[in-house]
Amino acid sequence: MAARSTVKRSTRAAPAKPLWLVYLLGWLVPGGGHLWLGRTTKGIVFLVALPAMFVIGLALEGRLFPFAPSEPLVALAAVADVASGLPYLIANTLGFGVGRAVALTYDYGNAFLITAGLLNALVIVDAHDIASGRK
Amino acid sequence: MSIQSHLLLMAVFALFVALVGGVLLKDTARQQARAGGEILGGLMAGAIILGWVLYVFPL
Repeated sequence: MAARSTVKRSTRAAPAKPLWLVYLLGWLVPGGGHLWLGRTTKGIVFLVALPAMFVIGLALEGRLFPFAPSEPLVALAAVADVASGLPYLIANTLGFGVGRAVALTYDYGNAFLITAGLLNALVIVDAHDIASGRK
Repeated sequence: MSIQSHLLLMAVFALFVALVGGVLLKDTARQQARAGGEILGGLMAGAIILGWVLYVFPL
């Protein structure tokens, strides 16, 4: 029992890197948290795939939704968009992501944009698990 | 963008989700490929089956 608790304690040792920095890096640069934690292959896959999804979503004339508290679903979509990090900030600053609702690919564009953000949120959770010694 | 094939767009979407999901869930390349393949197959098969169900029973 004592040995087991010792093992448990040692696997949950104090994180070597500050968690808030892992979150910030993981949010700003998709896969950035993994790269910083030394999971290079995973980090590169996320760094390529998630911004690519985001760019495809913009190319398909998807929309970066605004925060509209009166419309909860739109607000949730906005949160998912923001989760993409730097790609979102750049696109928003440059005026991309206006969206064209009559475009045939509008819904596909939204699906790509929202999913890219949600997947990045999962990637940040994974980076948290790695940084805190759970993985 | 000029791509207007629903099936192609769905396949590209499923491919990206499978890639990220597989790499996220597993640690070895073999396990990642297997998990990614399962996610890709599940998404594609699920969408095609749902498409045929909606064809018979439209909303």
